[in-house]
Amino acid sequence: MADNYTRFVNGGLGKKLSKQLGLPRPAILRRYVPDAPLTVGPVLVVSDDASAADADALAKALMTWDVDVRRTPEDAGDARWGGVVLVGTAAETPEAVSEAVLALGGTLRRLAGNGRVVVVSRAAEAGDSPTLAATRAGFEGFTRSVGKELRDGATANGVQLTGGAAVDSASALGTLRFFLSAKSAYVDGQVLPVGPSEAPSDVDWERPLAGKVAVVTGAARGIGAAIARTLARDGAKVVVVDVPAAGESLAAVANEVKGTAVQLDVTAADAGTKILEAARHLGGLDILVHNAGILRDKLLANMKPAQWDAVIAVNLASQLRINEQLLAAGVEGLRIVSLASTSGIAGGKGQTNYAYSKSGVIGHTAATAPLVAELGGTANAVAPGFIETEMTRSIPFGTREVGRRVLPSLQQGGLPLDVAEAIAFLSSPAADGVNGQVLRVCGQSMLGK
Amino acid sequence: MAFNATGAPASYGVTELAQLPKLGGLFVRGVAGSVGKRPKGAVRLPETAYQVVGVETTGEAAHLAAYQRLLGEPASEVLPAGFLHVLAFPLATAVMVRGDFPLPLLGLVHLRNVARVLRPVRLGETLEVRAWAQDARTHRRGVQVDLVAEVLVGGELAYQGVSTYLAKGFTAPDGGAAAPEAPDAAPAAEAPREEWTAPLPTARWQLGGGTGRAYGAVSGDQNPIHTSSLGAKAFGFPRAIAHGMYTAARALAEVGPARRGDTYEWTVEFFKPVLLPGTVDVAIRYARDAAPTDGPEPVPATLTSENGAAAGQGFVYDGWRSGKNTRHFQGTITPL
Amino acid sequence: MSTTPSPVPSTREAVIIGGNRIPFSRAGKKYVRTSNQDMFTAALEGLVARFGLQGERLGEVAGGAVLKHSKNFNLIRESVLGSSLAPTTPAYDVQQACATGLEAAIAVTNKIKLGQIESAIAGGTDTVSDAPIVVSDRLRAALLDANHAKTTGGKLKALAAIRPKDLAPVSPSTGEPRTHLSMGEHQAITTAKWGITREDQDEVAYNSHQNLARAWESGFFDDLVTPYKGLTRDDNMRPDTSLEKLAKLKPVFGAKLGEQATMTAGNSTPLTDGASAVLFSSRAWAEERDLPILAKFVDAETAAVDFVHGHEGLLMAPAAAVPRLLARNDLRLEDIDFFEIHEAFASTVLTTLAAWEDEEYCRTELGLDGALGKIDRSKLNVNGSSLAAGHPFAATGGRIIATAAKLVAAKAAETGQPARALISVCAAGGLGAVAIVESV
Repeated sequence: MADNYTRFVNGGLGKKLSKQLGLPRPAILRRYVPDAPLTVGPVLVVSDDASAADADALAKALMTWDVDVRRTPEDAGDARWGGVVLVGTAAETPEAVSEAVLALGGTLRRLAGNGRVVVVSRAAEAGDSPTLAATRAGFEGFTRSVGKELRDGATANGVQLTGGAAVDSASALGTLRFFLSAKSAYVDGQVLPVGPSEAPSDVDWERPLAGKVAVVTGAARGIGAAIARTLARDGAKVVVVDVPAAGESLAAVANEVKGTAVQLDVTAADAGTKILEAARHLGGLDILVHNAGILRDKLLANMKPAQWDAVIAVNLASQLRINEQLLAAGVEGLRIVSLASTSGIAGGKGQTNYAYSKSGVIGHTAATAPLVAELGGTANAVAPGFIETEMTRSIPFGTREVGRRVLPSLQQGGLPLDVAEAIAFLSSPAADGVNGQVLRVCGQSMLGK
Repeated sequence: MAFNATGAPASYGVTELAQLPKLGGLFVRGVAGSVGKRPKGAVRLPETAYQVVGVETTGEAAHLAAYQRLLGEPASEVLPAGFLHVLAFPLATAVMVRGDFPLPLLGLVHLRNVARVLRPVRLGETLEVRAWAQDARTHRRGVQVDLVAEVLVGGELAYQGVSTYLAKGFTAPDGGAAAPEAPDAAPAAEAPREEWTAPLPTARWQLGGGTGRAYGAVSGDQNPIHTSSLGAKAFGFPRAIAHGMYTAARALAEVGPARRGDTYEWTVEFFKPVLLPGTVDVAIRYARDAAPTDGPEPVPATLTSENGAAAGQGFVYDGWRSGKNTRHFQGTITPL
Repeated sequence: MSTTPSPVPSTREAVIIGGNRIPFSRAGKKYVRTSNQDMFTAALEGLVARFGLQGERLGEVAGGAVLKHSKNFNLIRESVLGSSLAPTTPAYDVQQACATGLEAAIAVTNKIKLGQIESAIAGGTDTVSDAPIVVSDRLRAALLDANHAKTTGGKLKALAAIRPKDLAPVSPSTGEPRTHLSMGEHQAITTAKWGITREDQDEVAYNSHQNLARAWESGFFDDLVTPYKGLTRDDNMRPDTSLEKLAKLKPVFGAKLGEQATMTAGNSTPLTDGASAVLFSSRAWAEERDLPILAKFVDAETAAVDFVHGHEGLLMAPAAAVPRLLARNDLRLEDIDFFEIHEAFASTVLTTLAAWEDEEYCRTELGLDGALGKIDRSKLNVNGSSLAAGHPFAATGGRIIATAAKLVAAKAAETGQPARALISVCAAGGLGAVAIVESV
């Protein structure tokens, strides 16, 4: 699972050597295994005074998940914290959060490897007083900064409640759980806005997608195949889609996940109709993952029309056309998750076409969100950072090592599974309060705005 | 040819042999005896028929199986006409190697063969076999003579085969005048090519270099013109040539017991020999499909019988050199 | 188009849900060292993936291969065991030369119609690149004798009979066992008999390539073919061929017939590797699973001709089977929307059509009152056939059935009227199988 370097520096000799040389020592990230404990140790819930009630509500929910919940740092004894949840949802002044954040700070040295920090706050909204807005907005930078302090595979992420969402709403809890869990192994430094949710709170956390029909494009290999596997693991019936030329591996993926293979070029004019048709035979479309994408890297100065156009057609225009067809068909409760990229946020040399397309994905996701929301659905995007795939294996060593070690706080590339976990979360009923968002799965790489 | 009568002409004497002679020894005698047999005056055939009674076939099972496998006859206890020909061949050869048989064994050209199975002969039956020579008559290039072989079971005529051979340069008893033969039969071996056009084939036989040796092994006819290239060259052929009876027997097998029935007539006329190895195109057709409207010339009258192929029953077969107009053989297989 | 209904016997319908094949590849190219079992398993896996049949226990899987090693005595069952289907799915091998695939379909659909099974896959596979090599008869006989011998001495004696030349392997041939003529030579004879011209044959070949290429380009095969071993399309297809190029090819069959030889590598089907599979079921089974129904497998007929003695051409059996099938279903040629006539050779198609147009032939050989009729050539092999796609013997039936089913489904969807396809496959041994596929 981990790359060779990560394995080396976590072994006996490599561990010693890398310490003496001051080399990066990426941790072996803990990933989801069914029936394993949610966190690696007890979870501390701290808050400012005003947010105590919300903190209590969260602590109660955590206990229903069989988590060992503590309310004061002293409760831990010798144990290392599996997670610390900082609740600042009701704080009204910057000064009021001081005690709580310092309490969190006091626990960080005792945070276990693969431990979790989750900051639960409210988003600054129109009409907030400047003080309140400052109080709320502060948590965003705070969360990212905490993430950069953490080591040994620990992460810091934020649940940012919007639109008056209740702290113990299904979506708030679902997002909190995702961040606490091993499913968010490569998600770090992210603050995810979560709106009100109508999702029922009795969630089957092992099979959250049971009874759902999901379509994954570009599913023949790499991230797409991992998405198909993860959605199937979570209980969905999966239709895997890829270009006809990729049909052999596509069929293998379909048979592995007990799904259905559809050989389809997503740029085809009737791709949306074909996708609906395929899903109809399984009971109707619930989840669509726009994963199909291509790279045609070239400096803009040397870019040929075919290179630009192909990337736009596959990565962006196809998603737009398919979404239009699905919206026109009135598909209800549809979860759309599109693959963006950190390149779409930060750009990449020789990737003007790719970055345009991925940035465009982020744009259309925000615009599509209210449209699908009318039918009870959501549209979100996931922006992977450096993911270890066959594609990235072809990147030159130096560039690859920078992407892996230097940029991300987690000092390593992610796995296709990490992207898939984020997508499975955004596809799940519990994430219905998350709409129009871009969730980065990048190990907190320093790319971006 | 007197098919309906059985036995040798009334004037012939009968010589009874204790058993069927061995072909190998006969052949040595035949070769030696051939030397002295030169054309001198009109040919006079020995008026003697050889006869062997009590020929047991029980021991022939392996021989029959080898024959059937080589020719493509289905495995069966019924002896095909070709096998009966092989069985009686040593006795006919014995006639031809007699000192008073005027024609040399070596150099006889097999012109045609007509055989009839009048009653199926089964493995295990005890046979009476007889053979004689008759009817020496004029051929354009010499004299032709019939070697007749008969097989009887329980006194009943089961098989009769008439093999017609040409001895070049010899003279018939009736003097040098041409016999009233059908024009296309008598000069068969040298029929002009232009007169015949190959029909569309129904089969193609790839005959390997060992074809002559293989048939020699089951038929006993180890004549070197069939079994070795050198032997063939000694007689003026560029390579070994296939046994004519092998090609005819293959055609017979091809039609098979289901279509020829228990009793049948099997004829063949030979033209140019088949050089080995070689590819022979064959047309084995229903006589009715091979009717004159179909192009190829009608079946020669000498090879038809009153109720046979001419009436559109049974099969006619033709063989020629693949891709050429060189005719090798033609014959009929007609249920009786 | 006729609205004449097909007489439906008092049995259930057998429907075609869909098909899958691997791209066909010319012998000795992509699928070298790929076995029949490998290829048929791949065809099955693609079909399972297309319709989500993982772990499903089907009524049965039937199919076969024409060139089959004796170790593959249970070829289809072994393929099922290597697939994602439930291992409790029974299977059996079928062999009817080039009609194997279609005959397998006839067999399983009859069982479905009788109610013996609810679902089935029929198909076939063939490889020339991985064909079994046979030892010579003499070597075989010696080995068998040695095996049967009781003593070491006996064994050695038997083995001593082996001569060096006996060790040369014998490759399987497409020659007819009784005539020793290759299929091409046989067809050359039939071609000569019917006076089919080189130009007509080349045109059939040209159309086959053009039609197949167009179908590929239009995505017609996107849900009929799953790539295999890096091959994504039939590699025999020559979209760039032209009548001029075809006209330049030298004849390869019929050169020894004394007639003008007309059959070339261009208008004859090459030896090909490949596999295909088609999913059939009762209507209820498909509906329960909400699987698409493309078409009904209405009826089928097989025929054989007396070719051994030249009375009829080797590949002319479909000419006899079709009138019988049409008559039983109260149909005429005009009632057919698509003619899927397997192109063993371009001239096979043409001699079949010529036979149907020949009044004398139809009277005397087919027992009809007059000519069966002339077909509209624009309905012939509209998405290409074996000349372009190639012809892995037992796999051709499945290719054609799936193509025909999709064609009639599309036509019916477009016109709102029922559409029919007539499938015709000739086979070695003077055999032929034909079938009617109709939209639902």
